[in-house]
Amino acid sequence: MVEKFREDSLDLEEYISHNIKSSKPKGLLKCVQCGMCTSVCPAAQHSNYNPRSMVECVLEGDTAVIEDEDIWYCFYCYTCHSICPADNSPCEVNQVLRQIAVDKGIADDHLIPFLGFGDSFLNHGIGGIPENFFPEMKEDIGDDWWDFKTHLDDVRNHLGLDPVFPSEEAIVEVSTILKSCGFEDRINKIRNHHKDED
Amino acid sequence: MKNVPDKNILLFKSCLVSVEYPGIESSTKYVFDKIGVDYHVDRAQTCCTGLGHYSDVFDQFSTTVNGARHFALANKLNRPNMVMMCATCYAINKKVANILNNNEEVRDEVNQVFDDCGYDWMKFNKGDLDSRENIFHIIDIFYSKRKEIAKNIKYDFSDFNIATHHGCHYCKVHYGDTIEGIRNPHIIDDVVNACGVETIGWYDFKRTTCGSGFSQRFVHKKHSLTVTLDKLKSLKENKTNILIHLCPNCHVQFDRYQTYVGDKIGEEFNIVHLNIAQFLALAMGADPYDVVGIQTHTVPVEPILKDLKPLSKDNKDEIIEKVSYKVDLDESEDFNMEADTVKVEVNETN
Ligand code: SF4
Ligand code: SF4
Ligand code: SF4
Ligand code: SF4
Repeated sequence: MVEKFREDSLDLEEYISHNIKSSKPKGLLKCVQCGMCTSVCPAAQHSNYNPRSMVECVLEGDTAVIEDEDIWYCFYCYTCHSICPADNSPCEVNQVLRQIAVDKGIADDHLIPFLGFGDSFLNHGIGGIPENFFPEMKEDIGDDWWDFKTHLDDVRNHLGLDPVFPSEEAIVEVSTILKSCGFEDRINKIRNHHKDED
Repeated sequence: MKNVPDKNILLFKSCLVSVEYPGIESSTKYVFDKIGVDYHVDRAQTCCTGLGHYSDVFDQFSTTVNGARHFALANKLNRPNMVMMCATCYAINKKVANILNNNEEVRDEVNQVFDDCGYDWMKFNKGDLDSRENIFHIIDIFYSKRKEIAKNIKYDFSDFNIATHHGCHYCKVHYGDTIEGIRNPHIIDDVVNACGVETIGWYDFKRTTCGSGFSQRFVHKKHSLTVTLDKLKSLKENKTNILIHLCPNCHVQFDRYQTYVGDKIGEEFNIVHLNIAQFLALAMGADPYDVVGIQTHTVPVEPILKDLKPLSKDNKDEIIEKVSYKVDLDESEDFNMEADTVKVEVNETN
C-alpha cells in the first residue's frame, strides 16, 4: 500500500504490517517476545537499541517509539529477519518506523547528511558516497585513497571499463521517473523543512 | 541445486564497485570469459538506490519505480537474467521484483508513473521478471561453474589462511533463495575450494555484519567500527591472511578502515581483502593491475602476490578430479536433503 502516514488514524501494528516495505506481513502479530532477535543483534550488543522491546512497543501501540533515538542505531543487517521463529522482521519494522519519522518531519537531522545520495541519483543517475563525507574519509583512510579517487577515470580506462556515469538518455529517464513518483519532492521537503527550522 | 543461468545475463553494475573497487567488475568479466558465461553490461543501467535506500533517503516506492525500469531494460535487451556484483543490489532488486509481482496496487501505481512520463516500455506486467528465476549474484554463477573454475586455475593459494565474509544482504534477506547455508554460510568457501584451497571455515562472528550499517559508519562511527573490530579480532586469532568478500560495501568497511581501527587500539591486522571475483581472477593468472585493479586497495595486496606459486600439472589434475567429485555429489538430491538437516546443528556465535 503506497499510503502516506496519517497521525490521527495511526494503528501502528496495522500500518506496519500493510506497509509496502513489509515482506513478512503476518509475522509481526505472531511475535512471541522470545528475544532471539536481541540476542543476535549487533546493535543491541553495542548500544541501547533493543529490537525485541522495539517490537513490543509497536504491538502495544506505543507511538513514542517513533521518536526514540535508539532505533537509529540498527545496522539493517537482517540477522533478526533471518532467525525470528515467528517469521517477523524487526529489521523491516524498524525501517518503517524510521519512514514514519521521516513523514512526520522529525527525522531531518538523520537524513540531511545523506541527501547527497538523492541529488546524485537525480543528476547523474547513480548513487555513490555523498561528497560531504569525503574530508573525514580522506583523513581516516589516507592520501592514497584520495589520490585514487581523483584518478578514477584513468583507472577505469586502464581496466577497460566504461565511464562511471550512465548514458545521458538513461540519466534523463531516471530523473524524470523519480520526479514523477514524488522522490524529488520528498528530498526537497526535507531540505526546506530543515532550513525553516534553522 | 536451483537452476543458475549462464547466458542472457545482464551484468548489473554496482556504483560502489564502479567508484571504489572497479577491479571487481573487470575481474568478473575476466572470469566469466574463462568459464563460458554469456553476459553484457549496459550503459542505460543506472543503480539500484541501495545506499540511499538503507540510509532512509529513498522510500520503497521510489526504489520500486527505479527497479521496474531496470527489469524492463533487461527484458528489452533480451537479457532477463540479472546478475549482481553487490549483495545490496541483489537484495534490493529481489525485493522490488517480489513487490511488483505480488502487490497489484503498487504495480498499478508504478505503471501509472510510467504512463504519466510517456515511458510505456517500462511498464511491468506480473511475471515479467521473477526474483528466484531471474535475479542472481555472481557468487551463484561461480558456484554453479566450479568444475570450469578448477580447470582454469594457474596459481596455488593453498599456503595462505583464507577466511570468507558472506555479509548480510546476500544470505539473510532472501534466505530462501540463497545457495548453501544460512546458519553457516559457506558458498564462498565452496568456490574457493574449487581452486584447490581449504578455507579456515567457521570462525567466531563469521555471520556478523561488517558494521557499515549504511548510515552507521558515517554518523555513528564508533558504534560501527566496534562491530568491525569484533570480526577483525576473531580473524586475527585464526591467523587469517586473506578475507574474501562478495559485496563492495563490506569490502570498503574492512579494506579502507582496517588500519584506522588497528591504530585506534594499537593492534596490527595484516589481512588482505579481495572480492571473490578478484581472487578467482588472480588464481587464473590475471594481471593484478590491468585486470584485478589492486592499485585501488588500501591494504596492499602485493605481499600476497610475491609468495604465489604456479600450480603444478599433477596438483591441478588432482584438484579437477576432487572438485568434479564434490560437485556431482552436491548435485545429487539425496545428499542435499541430508546436508540441510545437518546445517541446523551448526553452532553459531552470531
Ligand atoms: S521479533 Fe521474533 S525473534 Fe524478536 S522477540 Fe519477536 S518472535 Fe522473538
Ligand atoms: S537488522 Fe537491526 S535489529 Fe536486526 S539484527 Fe541487525 S541491527 Fe539488530
Ligand atoms: S547496492 Fe549499493 S553499490 Fe550496489 S548499485 Fe546499489 S547503491 Fe550501488
Ligand atoms: S556485511 Fe555490511 S555491507 Fe556487507 S552485506 Fe552486510 S551490511 Fe551489507
